[in-house]
Amino acid sequence: MTATEEKGPRPEMQGREGSAHETRGLTFDALRVRAQQLSLREQLERQHFLLARLNAASARLLQAVEQGDVYEAVGEIIGNLIGSEEVAIFRHHSAHQTFLLVWSVGVEKETLHQFGLGAGLIGRAAHEGTSQFRNRRPATPLLPHEASLTACIPLKLDREVIGVIVILGLLPQKNGLEWADFELLKFLETYGAVAAQLQNLQKSSVKP
Amino acid sequence: MGSKKILLVDDSSTARLVTRLIFSQKSNYVLLSAVDGKDAVERAHAEKPDLILMDVMMPRMTGLEACRILKHDKETSKIPVILLTTRGEEQFVQEGYESGCSDYLTKPVNDTELLDLLKAYLGE
Repeated sequence: MTATEEKGPRPEMQGREGSAHETRGLTFDALRVRAQQLSLREQLERQHFLLARLNAASARLLQAVEQGDVYEAVGEIIGNLIGSEEVAIFRHHSAHQTFLLVWSVGVEKETLHQFGLGAGLIGRAAHEGTSQFRNRRPATPLLPHEASLTACIPLKLDREVIGVIVILGLLPQKNGLEWADFELLKFLETYGAVAAQLQNLQKSSVKP
Repeated sequence: MGSKKILLVDDSSTARLVTRLIFSQKSNYVLLSAVDGKDAVERAHAEKPDLILMDVMMPRMTGLEACRILKHDKETSKIPVILLTTRGEEQFVQEGYESGCSDYLTKPVNDTELLDLLKAYLGE
């Protein structure tokens, strides 16, 4: 055993070690605070971006009600903010107990012009009134026209399903739906329905 | 340092509004807007923006056509043009660069990616 080991560090080293320890402590604290700052800032930015998307979507829906192009607006919102150019919108026809296609982009109208309650994932969205996401139900058998399906969003007024938004393929650079997309789709589920119903009422009220 | 002028060109009012809201946290950017390529060429001449952020698929004049015109005009040729498109495939990106654009972003725009790219061209 050396003298140093017996007595601990030499006095001149003790001072230096203490200082180094302090510096390491300060650096660690500074890093911790910095990491916390970044995390909090990221939370605020994420919220800001989500609200920016929701704000833009609601402004477009309001404009659409005035212009009478609610379905186009929903398609534009999905195209620009979510990233799909394959969208179909259906309205419920109570007389026929079916959902008929009222607007679409990038979709073969012949194969997807109507559907009934409960048939496939689209029919399930209409029947249960809940959004259906293909990646959350990988075992569910799909109907032929649902092969490229990503999501089905019911348009709901209170509990009544008045229509369904069907999103087929996403843009090639989009790997899947993200958290902000789900929030936006939740918004469309309610306010897309409100805007569509308002547009219908406006159109029927101006008829002679 | 003064504010930087960005000309945002998109026929979709949703896209224009969301970009405006994203930029609202950056007080040093002044955002101008145009609704198609033809409008963009006119506004670029009138306003001389520091950067143009332009959609590709638009009525009247596409972003690619507008970019070619701007790059062939000595008054606007030095303005960086960033094209925004839904088509991220290589051939579309190549076509974009051939039109003279400085950069290319695919839709839906990633907010952080967009702000970082603008910072790279315009500084903090």
